[in-house]
Amino acid sequence: MALPLGNGLYLYFLYLPFAARSVNLEFNAAWYTLDLVGFTLIGQLLYTFFTMMLLSGNAFVVEREQGTLEAVLLSPANRIALILGGALAGAFNYMWFFFGIMFSWVAFLGVQMVINDFLALAASIVLSYLSMVTLGMCFEALFVYSRRGHMYTTVLQEPIMFFSGLAFPLQAMPRALLSISYLIPLTFGLLSLRLTLLGGASLIDVGVPLTVLASMTLLFLALSTWLIGYAERKAKAKATLTQF
Amino acid sequence: MSNTSFAVEARQLSRDYISANRSHLVGKKVTTVIRALDHIDFEIQEGELFGLLGPNGAGKTTTVKILCTLLEPTSGQAFVKGYDVVKDAARVRRIVNMVAGGERMLYYRLTGRENLEYFAELYNVPKREVKSRINTLLELMGLVDRADDEVEKYSKGMKQRLQVCRGLINDPEVLFLDEPTLGLDVNIAKDLRRFIREKIVEERGKTVLLTTHYMYEAEELCDRVGFLNKGKLVAVGRPDELKRKMPSGFSMEVLATRLTDEVLQGLRQLEPVKKALTTDYEGEIEGEKIDRLIVNINSDRATPEVLNYLSAMRCRVVSVNIRGPTLEDLFMFYTGE
Repeated sequence: MALPLGNGLYLYFLYLPFAARSVNLEFNAAWYTLDLVGFTLIGQLLYTFFTMMLLSGNAFVVEREQGTLEAVLLSPANRIALILGGALAGAFNYMWFFFGIMFSWVAFLGVQMVINDFLALAASIVLSYLSMVTLGMCFEALFVYSRRGHMYTTVLQEPIMFFSGLAFPLQAMPRALLSISYLIPLTFGLLSLRLTLLGGASLIDVGVPLTVLASMTLLFLALSTWLIGYAERKAKAKATLTQF
Repeated sequence: MSNTSFAVEARQLSRDYISANRSHLVGKKVTTVIRALDHIDFEIQEGELFGLLGPNGAGKTTTVKILCTLLEPTSGQAFVKGYDVVKDAARVRRIVNMVAGGERMLYYRLTGRENLEYFAELYNVPKREVKSRINTLLELMGLVDRADDEVEKYSKGMKQRLQVCRGLINDPEVLFLDEPTLGLDVNIAKDLRRFIREKIVEERGKTVLLTTHYMYEAEELCDRVGFLNKGKLVAVGRPDELKRKMPSGFSMEVLATRLTDEVLQGLRQLEPVKKALTTDYEGEIEGEKIDRLIVNINSDRATPEVLNYLSAMRCRVVSVNIRGPTLEDLFMFYTGE
């Protein structure tokens, strides 16, 4: 709980001398005025979840160390179910946290929420979750292949933090770098959630980011299916499955 | 799928381990290839308890890991119940299980029962059978009283017994036991051996591949054994069959007097005698010193010839003890250790 709340407040106080209580976000040729505290906290909240999914493969590190990875992969259990289970366990743990934080914003920080379309908000939450869960599955597959999975995931954290527009509106990003931002599901999750929760956007307004999130979910699901098979085959060929 | 009646079959199975190291950060990468298995061939019949014996690093665990699909062979093929362990790995996993020695492969923060429930789920054990199967296994392994304690509170022996329960949770047709009694107390190890022989093989008709470097364990349990040495399978057969094939397979221990060098020289000239030597012995009879004579003979039928010779040389024989070769002798013979 300390991470998104603490970091969110840190960003808020960083902005405070330069801005008032709001931030302007441009999307699809429209301008939205969003609550600054809400803007920064949504950034941190979703980023924490994203990091959690990146590191969900940690469960496999523990399994590898205690020798249970061998026992699990010895079984005929569906590999996709295994990695999905690992990612969903983290996601379910995060659910109460997500809603708890949202409640505390309103109650204690006076965040001005402007929700006009609950369906759009629900779709934003669900698709943001799913896209990150499936991306987490891809990273979990790396942990099956190599005990250095940490290295691959931690190296991505800072660039993602920058490119996703976590701490600033995307219109501030140089155009040349925006193409990188659009490769990251967190970017679209942040956009749709900020717009539907703080800017009163409708399902049509956030149609594009939601479609991208849905497409990314399917793409990551297919990629993780291929990756887990590949990682297991490679690990068996290179005998890295049980190294710890 | 192979048309075979064997439960397990290995054909020209080889496995190399490749390690690449740099002497320093920007140094040249040095690749080392270690051949853990070198074109081994063997087969195991249905319902047979086959022992794979060999010193540390001989390739026993590598063989087991290949057969239960945790490792791919570098070359060659292996089949379990006719299924190729590489191409039909998913099918093989449904019909095998593995128990390894040591304290791994269990979730320490779960209870013994929860561990088994989790693995039952992974093996798709029918829901209606899970409870009764777990209870039966816990009862068989004497863990009922501690089933609801966390595994981290278990003793080493209890963890090992729980591992056996885990290994049997899917009622496997072929069970791989990799050093299952490693580090266990004598009594627990003995109980476990009895359980393997009586309950798993004789009662349930399972096929078992056991790896061990405890020769008495293999002697007590195995229908057939294979000796692995430096990745090569140097001998396969029934223990008695292999013992018969062993040159100088029998030893005579004779306590006798007047065992002079001349007597020994003559003894070594006899056709069935492979080796003859005397060792110190503290004892005498009617004032004459007794020596211990060890004679390696190629057949127990050579005993009268040796005794007649000693009698002709006026040696006084006090006692004679003949023993056949043990599995340990075979182990030393085949592995040179």
